[in-house]
Amino acid sequence: MMEDSHGQGDERQDRQFAEVFLPHLDAAYNLARWLLRSDHDAEDCVQDAYLRAYKAFPRFRGGDGKAWFMTIVRNLCYTQLKKAQTHESGESFDEEIHGGAEAAQAEELRRKADAETLQLSLGKLPPEFREMIVLHDLEGHSYKEMAAIAAIPIGTVMSRLARAREKLRDEILASPETSHGM
Amino acid sequence: MECKEVSPLLNAYLDGELDLTTCVSLEAHLAACPACRQRIEAGQAIAAAVREQAPRFSASPYLATRIRASLREAESPHGNMTGWKALPIAWIYSALAGVLGIIIFAAAFLSPVTESSPLIQVAMADHIRSLQVGHLMDVISTDQHTVKPWFMGRLDYSPQVVDLGPSGFPLVGGRLDVLDHRQVAAIVYQRRKHDINLFIWPETGTRLPTTLITHNGYHFVGWTQSGMNYLAVSDLAEGELGDFVKLIREQTN
Repeated sequence: MMEDSHGQGDERQDRQFAEVFLPHLDAAYNLARWLLRSDHDAEDCVQDAYLRAYKAFPRFRGGDGKAWFMTIVRNLCYTQLKKAQTHESGESFDEEIHGGAEAAQAEELRRKADAETLQLSLGKLPPEFREMIVLHDLEGHSYKEMAAIAAIPIGTVMSRLARAREKLRDEILASPETSHGM
Repeated sequence: MECKEVSPLLNAYLDGELDLTTCVSLEAHLAACPACRQRIEAGQAIAAAVREQAPRFSASPYLATRIRASLREAESPHGNMTGWKALPIAWIYSALAGVLGIIIFAAAFLSPVTESSPLIQVAMADHIRSLQVGHLMDVISTDQHTVKPWFMGRLDYSPQVVDLGPSGFPLVGGRLDVLDHRQVAAIVYQRRKHDINLFIWPETGTRLPTTLITHNGYHFVGWTQSGMNYLAVSDLAEGELGDFVKLIREQTN
């Protein structure tokens, strides 16, 4: 507990902090790298996130540590995006799901969606959509966890992820056919 | 249900995030509507393409070193007085005395296992260590008939290994670990990207967290069945870990 001398208590807390949060390094880096699209910026952002989390750790009252930490990472990414003005906010931020008559494209999608096309197409989505796909399909977060990380209602997670996949589908379908498709 | 009600729900359906009632009426619609079935298929293709093809960037080993160093640096003049540290020391002591009293009372009469009990502390350390690269599994297999015999000769008991792949919790392997002062079997399952460690060892009388407890974002559930102790540890959402435990209990005899 924390009634022992400050020095000892702090040391234990420090060790605990590293044990609990360093296993999330790859997840944090992956999110930052996808949002910022630069190795260097992602590394700086993640390092900054660890420092901030470390300082805020005494106020962290248990619960989902990973979601708490990912929220810090995400917020720092957005601060950075705003600063760099790379945030493509000119684009209309349309959360409506269209779900039109575009059904019979599964085959074409499978053929076109190689690693390179995916990376390019996903990179073209606005960050608010990109992060939904990264958090869900790459990091395996549930809707509830995503709602906590992005600070939005679960209903919004649902519609935004759906919209993100629609946009991604459109980007993939609009991309040129690659030679090594089958 | 009509197509226009169904289409905003298709992704949640694919992701297993719909409640049971909505699921049932949506499936009824799907059975009758080829267009929505095709939409589902396109949605599946997208999600699968991302999972299989999109790169998951990993941090360079150098970044971890850099972060450890910056944390060490930050800790020396440990920030400024924040939170409870800023309170007058007398308040802290009286608050602590109160808290301590409650904890002693609780330990003696109420809660059998708390997050500070050695079993939970060690299990958390085991789980966290297992998440670090290369520590998760000694035997990597999705086949229960490979994992179970692997423990023979390594342990003086034989843990039951069940496969929950069809229920969405694929078996990924097993390893030896240390818990409750002895060697135990750790069976590893996965749900999406979340690892679940299921520790199994012969009943010792050590008390288990029979109702779910949470510590540092990890959940712990334990029970005893057929003379064996079971302890599941994961950062998976509570409800899903509950489902996992239920399935294991049903399929273990």
